[in-house]
Amino acid sequence: MSTANLNKYQLIIMADDKQVVLERILQVTRYRGFLINGMNAEVNTGNNVATITMTVSSERPISLLIDQINKLIDIKGVRVDNSAVNNKQQTA
Amino acid sequence: MSENKVLTGGGLLFEVLQEHGVQHVFGYPGGAIMPIYDALYDSDVQHFLCRHEQGAAFSAVGYARAAGKVGVCLATSGPGATNLITGLADALADSIPVVAITGQVPTAAMGSDAFQEIDIFGLSLACTKHSFQVTDINDLEKVLHQAFEIALEGRHGPVLVDIPKDVQLAEVTERLDKLSHLKNKVKLPLADISKALDLLTHAKQPILYVGGGVGMANAIEEVRNFAEQTGMPSVSTLKGLGAINPDNENYLGMLGMHGTKTANLAVQNSDLLVVVGARFDDRVTGKLDEFAPNARVIHFDIDTAEINKRRAADAAILGDLKGNLPLLSMELSISAWQEELQQMQKDFGWRYDHPGENIFAPAVLKTVSDLMPDNTCVTTDVGQHQMWAAQHMSFDDPSNFLTSGGMGTMGFGLPAAIGAQISRPHDTVIAVSGDGSIMMNVQELATIKRYQVPVKIVLIDNAKLGMVRQWQDLFFDGRLSETDLADNPDFVMLSQAFDIKSQTISKKSQVKAAVEEMLDHDGPYLLRVQIDAKENVWPLVPPNTANDKMMENV
Ligand SMILES: Cc1ncc(C[n+]2csc(CCOP(=O)(O)OP(=O)(O)O)c2C)c(N)n1
Ligand SMILES: [Mg+2]
Repeated sequence: MSTANLNKYQLIIMADDKQVVLERILQVTRYRGFLINGMNAEVNTGNNVATITMTVSSERPISLLIDQINKLIDIKGVRVDNSAVNNKQQTA
Repeated sequence: MSENKVLTGGGLLFEVLQEHGVQHVFGYPGGAIMPIYDALYDSDVQHFLCRHEQGAAFSAVGYARAAGKVGVCLATSGPGATNLITGLADALADSIPVVAITGQVPTAAMGSDAFQEIDIFGLSLACTKHSFQVTDINDLEKVLHQAFEIALEGRHGPVLVDIPKDVQLAEVTERLDKLSHLKNKVKLPLADISKALDLLTHAKQPILYVGGGVGMANAIEEVRNFAEQTGMPSVSTLKGLGAINPDNENYLGMLGMHGTKTANLAVQNSDLLVVVGARFDDRVTGKLDEFAPNARVIHFDIDTAEINKRRAADAAILGDLKGNLPLLSMELSISAWQEELQQMQKDFGWRYDHPGENIFAPAVLKTVSDLMPDNTCVTTDVGQHQMWAAQHMSFDDPSNFLTSGGMGTMGFGLPAAIGAQISRPHDTVIAVSGDGSIMMNVQELATIKRYQVPVKIVLIDNAKLGMVRQWQDLFFDGRLSETDLADNPDFVMLSQAFDIKSQTISKKSQVKAAVEEMLDHDGPYLLRVQIDAKENVWPLVPPNTANDKMMENV
């Protein structure tokens, strides 16, 4: 896939701290047609919530990916941290 | 269970299953699930030994779809678990609530390439709604409850629970005193009701586009009332068949690749689509850019991710269809539109006056449909016979027509029929299969034999992988590559080997008596219907073509 004219987005994902949650996010992201440009994951050991920041790019609207990630059972919330892009407001 | 016997993980499994009302499970034993099968020995849950784990998964799917309950299947680690995958993928594509339990090698051996170890948890990510691997006995009860809850919550789907052997054997010391429910995520407050009302009031040529979500939302009554009160002409997807009463004069039949001419033309000419529990699948829309080009869209769904996925909604109404659809009910003045479509239906109705002595498959299926008792459950395999069944049989409830829609999995029909029959022992169950498809789970004839499951099998035998042959003829210059099945086994003899009564028919004059004999027979029956290999399914919208550019047999 050519990476020219792709839109870039930064996602912030809050998830339950489960080992498998990263795999699920990676799988959904790839399957739905988004390239991962960078990723960082940290766990707050106090409340066992993982925060994952991920930069992705695609020709597809980011709302498609947000809706699919949000559907994962272990996900608490997803939002786009990129004021430059048009997207559906998502909070959970 | 006797007083002094300790409760193990395996025993706990069956207790939790029973708490969820599970009476029947489908499975196949093996090394890494032996403690569970040992606990089964003491349990009141009835187990059906299928002859392949794929059969167990599809029987669980058929059970779930016919009865509106969760279907449960069990398999051992490694090959047992991988054999479930096609069934799980099928359940995911068609949103069917299934709980699959797999045995796993002991926790200490996990990750060591142990005998019959496969990372089924990893494999499950793409083919389940959710999955669990339980490495601590203290988590097992909670996880099992969650599995049922997730399977049924929102959009239904399959859930896999992988349980290592040592966890199955471990002693349960504490029971949960109350069930902790899943935290429901805050749903988007998307409900453009006033927008939708506005669209509806201004529509002159609206169409109600009904999908499989209607049956799953238990909203058949609401959808039928809406269709009656608005008088809106309706079309159905493959999975929505049965949701609208087939006698409704404004019901136009199935839309899409093999839809009726009237349904497809009506949708193409509509100015408003009211979409209920459907998702603009490519087999429905044909060329997406040219699908219903002048229609605004009101989309009802339980799954946020379906809104705007393939077709933008002008008004989206998320949540429970049962509560939401009645909010839009109103009388519409669309009599010109209704009359136009009713006339088209008369002009383009199905014809069964096929020349010659040979059996015309659509006519046989119409005869079966006319003669079968009320509340018969029909399953199909995949291919031409499936499309003929969808076109020419009538269903009054989606739970009476079980077909692999999203995945289109050959091998679905026979085990799904077994599951359906076990869930509804007093109803007639008919599997419409093809000579190619039946061989994909033919081992399940042994399950029929063992439990004397009185399933009726209508085998449409064209000695071909007919649907692929049709495409080769139409789109690949008639180069018939690997679609000939002239050397099929003797299906009647094969049936008899499994104590299944059977006969072959090949002439029109034999059809009625043979169908009656099959339906009157108490036990299982296989009716082999020999048809002409050259018959095609019509109409056909070629791939990536607009739905009004259908090919017809003229
Ligand atoms: C598991 C699987 N493999 C391959 C296919 C592709 N496929 C679709 S229809 C078909 C032919 C089915 O033949 P048969 O069951 O005899 O039905 P017919 O079309 O002849 O009625 C094939 C091979 C499929 N749908 N599922
Ligand atoms: Mg065939």
